[in-house]
Amino acid sequence: MDNQWAVTASGLAKRFGDRRVVDGVDIAVPTGAVYGVLGPNGAGKTTTLRMLLGIIEPDEGQRTLLGHAHPRDASDMVGYLPEERGLYPAMKAREAIAFMGALRGLDWATGRARAVELLEQAGLGHAADNKIRKLSKGMAQLVQLLGSVVHRPKLLVLDEPFSGLDPVNQERLEALILGERDRGATILFSTHVMAHAERLCDRLAIIAGGQRRFEGTVDEARGTLRSWVRYRPRDPAQVLPPLLPADAVRDGEDWRFPLPDEGIEPVLGRLLAAGAGVLNLSIERPSLHEAFVRIVGAPAEEIAA
Amino acid sequence: MNSTRRLIRQTMTIARRDFIATVFTPIFLLFLFAPLIMVAFSTIGAMGAAQAADHGADHVRIVAIVPDALAGSFVEADRRSRAIFRRDEEPPALVTLAPARDPAAQARAAFESRDYDATAVLYGPLDRPTLLYGARGSRAADYLAVLAGSALAAERLGGELPRVTPTKISFSRQRATLGGQNQTAFLAVFGVFFLTLFLAGQVVGTMAEERSNKVIEVLAAAVPLEAVFLGKLLGMFGVAVLFVGFWGTVLGQVTSVLPPAFSGVVGELSPAVGLPIFAILFVSYFTMAYLLLGSVFLTIGAQATTMREIQMLSLPITIVQVGMFTLTLSGLSKPDSWLARVAEIFPLSSPFAMAGMAAASPSLWPHALALAWQALWVAIFVTLGARLFRRGVLQSGSTRPFWRRKG
Repeated sequence: MDNQWAVTASGLAKRFGDRRVVDGVDIAVPTGAVYGVLGPNGAGKTTTLRMLLGIIEPDEGQRTLLGHAHPRDASDMVGYLPEERGLYPAMKAREAIAFMGALRGLDWATGRARAVELLEQAGLGHAADNKIRKLSKGMAQLVQLLGSVVHRPKLLVLDEPFSGLDPVNQERLEALILGERDRGATILFSTHVMAHAERLCDRLAIIAGGQRRFEGTVDEARGTLRSWVRYRPRDPAQVLPPLLPADAVRDGEDWRFPLPDEGIEPVLGRLLAAGAGVLNLSIERPSLHEAFVRIVGAPAEEIAA
Repeated sequence: MNSTRRLIRQTMTIARRDFIATVFTPIFLLFLFAPLIMVAFSTIGAMGAAQAADHGADHVRIVAIVPDALAGSFVEADRRSRAIFRRDEEPPALVTLAPARDPAAQARAAFESRDYDATAVLYGPLDRPTLLYGARGSRAADYLAVLAGSALAAERLGGELPRVTPTKISFSRQRATLGGQNQTAFLAVFGVFFLTLFLAGQVVGTMAEERSNKVIEVLAAAVPLEAVFLGKLLGMFGVAVLFVGFWGTVLGQVTSVLPPAFSGVVGELSPAVGLPIFAILFVSYFTMAYLLLGSVFLTIGAQATTMREIQMLSLPITIVQVGMFTLTLSGLSKPDSWLARVAEIFPLSSPFAMAGMAAASPSLWPHALALAWQALWVAIFVTLGARLFRRGVLQSGSTRPFWRRKG
C-alpha cells in the first residue's frame, strides 16, 4: 500500500448516454490532507467522487482508495456524506449514527456510545433519542455527517457538505473537518463555494466540463492570475505614464497595473527617482474565486454561491 | 476480515434494520393479526349463513306414513341409524303419520303441510314402499328406505331389532397410505404456495423506502448492493418467519385441543420421507420459495419509481405465484410426466414441486440437489437484481425504471 496517497485516480472517464460527464480526470490526494474538488454545477464532481468510492464503475481509468485497487476493500475505512442527504426518518438520531457505523464494521454498542459523544460535541446531545423526522434539516444533516465519522475513518469524502447549512452549522462543519484532519484523517470534499475551499484546502482540483483544469495548492491556483499593483503617487502631477508599465490604467487618484514579472522594485525605483513619491502602494493578490472563474472560463454568475 | 465474513456482516446489518423497522411498528400488529381478522369475519359470515340455514332446516322433516304398530320400530331404527351421522350431516327429523284412506294423497298433502317442510315421504307396504321426494330430498328418501328395511326386519324378528355391543379399538397404520401421500403432497404444495403468496409479495416495495429517502446512496457507498438486496430479503424473511412461527404456535395449541376426529385427519397425513424429515424439507422449501420469488419481486420492485407502480406490480406478482402453483399441481397429478420434471427444475416452481415430492417419494438425494439448485438461483437473482439496479438506477442517477430506458 502506498501511504503517500490516500486517493489516486488516473484517466477516470464516465459516459451517461451520449454525454461524457467525466473525461479523463487525474487526482492524487495526499494522505492527511484536506483536498477540495471544485467545479461549477454539472462539472462532474459528484460522478468523480462516486467512481472513486466504487458506487459506480468508471468506463475508463484506474483509481486506488487507501491503497486498494477495489474501493470496496477499503469501505470500512471510509466515511461518506453524499450530496443527496438520506436517513431513515423513523430511526432515532443515536441509532442512525450507530447504523452508519455498523455498515462500516463498527459494532452496535460502540457505535451507540460514540454517537452520544459525537452528538454532545456537536451540541445535539438533547436530540440523541429524537427520531430523524423530528429534527430540522440542518440537524439531520449534521447527524448524517456524524454518522460518516463515527467509525473514525481514515478517509472522509464529503460531497457538497456545506450546502443547506446555516452559517452557524457551516462553522461547526468546518471545525469538524479540521478536527478530523487533526485526528489524522484525509478529507476529500467537493464544493462550488470558494470561501470554504480557501479556508480549508491544502490542495485542490478544479474540474469543469468533466475535465480537470487545475491541480495544486490554493496559492498555486491564485498564481494562475497575476497580482495587481495599486499605486497612489504623493504628487499626481509629476507622474508620467512612461514611468509605469504600458498596461497601467488610471483608477481615480490611483494607478493599477499587473505586477511585472521582474517585481515591483524597478518601477518603484523609477517613480522615486522622478520624484513622484509614494502615498500608497499595495499588491493585490487574486482571490481563489477569481482564479476559479478564470480557470473554468465561465462567467462568474454561473458559479456564484 | 475476509470478504465473505464482511459480506455476511453487512448483509445482517441491513437485514436487522429492515426487520426492526418492520416489526416494531403498530402496522405490524395489524399485519400479524390479519389472519385473525380474516377468520373472525369468515366466522361471523359462516355463523350467519349457518343460522339462516339452521333456521330453514329446523322445519325440514322426513315423513313415514306407517301403521301405528310399525311406527315404534321405525322410530327406533331412526334413533340407532342417526347415531352414525355427524351433526351437520344428520337427516332431517322423522315424523310418522298413521295411514289415511288414500296414503298416496296423504303423502302428497304432507308436502303442503304448514307445520313442517317435508323433503321425503314414505308410504305403502314396507317391503315395497313408495318414496316421494322434493328438491334435494333424494338422500333423505334413501334414508327412509333404509329405515323401512330396519323396521321390517324388526317386525319379522318379533318387533325389536337385535342389540349389538361392539368393541371399538383405534388403530394407526404404520405404512404411509397412497391416499395419505397424495393428500400430504397437495397440502405441502398448497402450504408453501399459501405462505409465499401472503408473505413474499411484501418484498416488492422494500427498496422504495431507500430510494425515496435517499439512503440508498449511503448504503451503496458502504456495502455492496448484493448485500443490500440479500439483507432486505433476509430482513423480510425474518418477518415472515415471525409471522409463521406465531401462527404455527397458535394453531399447534388449537390443534392439541381439537376433538380426536380432527387428529385422525392429521394422522392420515403420511409423507413418504417420514414426518420429521418432511417437516425439515417443508421449512427448507418454504425458505427457498420465499427467497426465490422474493428476490425476483425485489429486483422488479427496485426498478419501480412510485408507490403506484409498486401497487400495480401486485397483480402480475400474484399471477406468477398462481402460475407456479398451477404448474406444480399439474405435475403432481402426473408424477412421471415431463410437466412434473419441468415443475421440479424450473427455479420458481421447484420449491413447490419438491415439497410435493417429499410427500410422495421416499428418495432424499433429489432434495439435496434441489436445495442446492434453488440456492444457486437465489444467488443468481440477487446478483442480477443488484447489477440491474446499479446499472440502471445508481449509474445515471436516473429514476427511470429499466423498462422505460432507451437501449
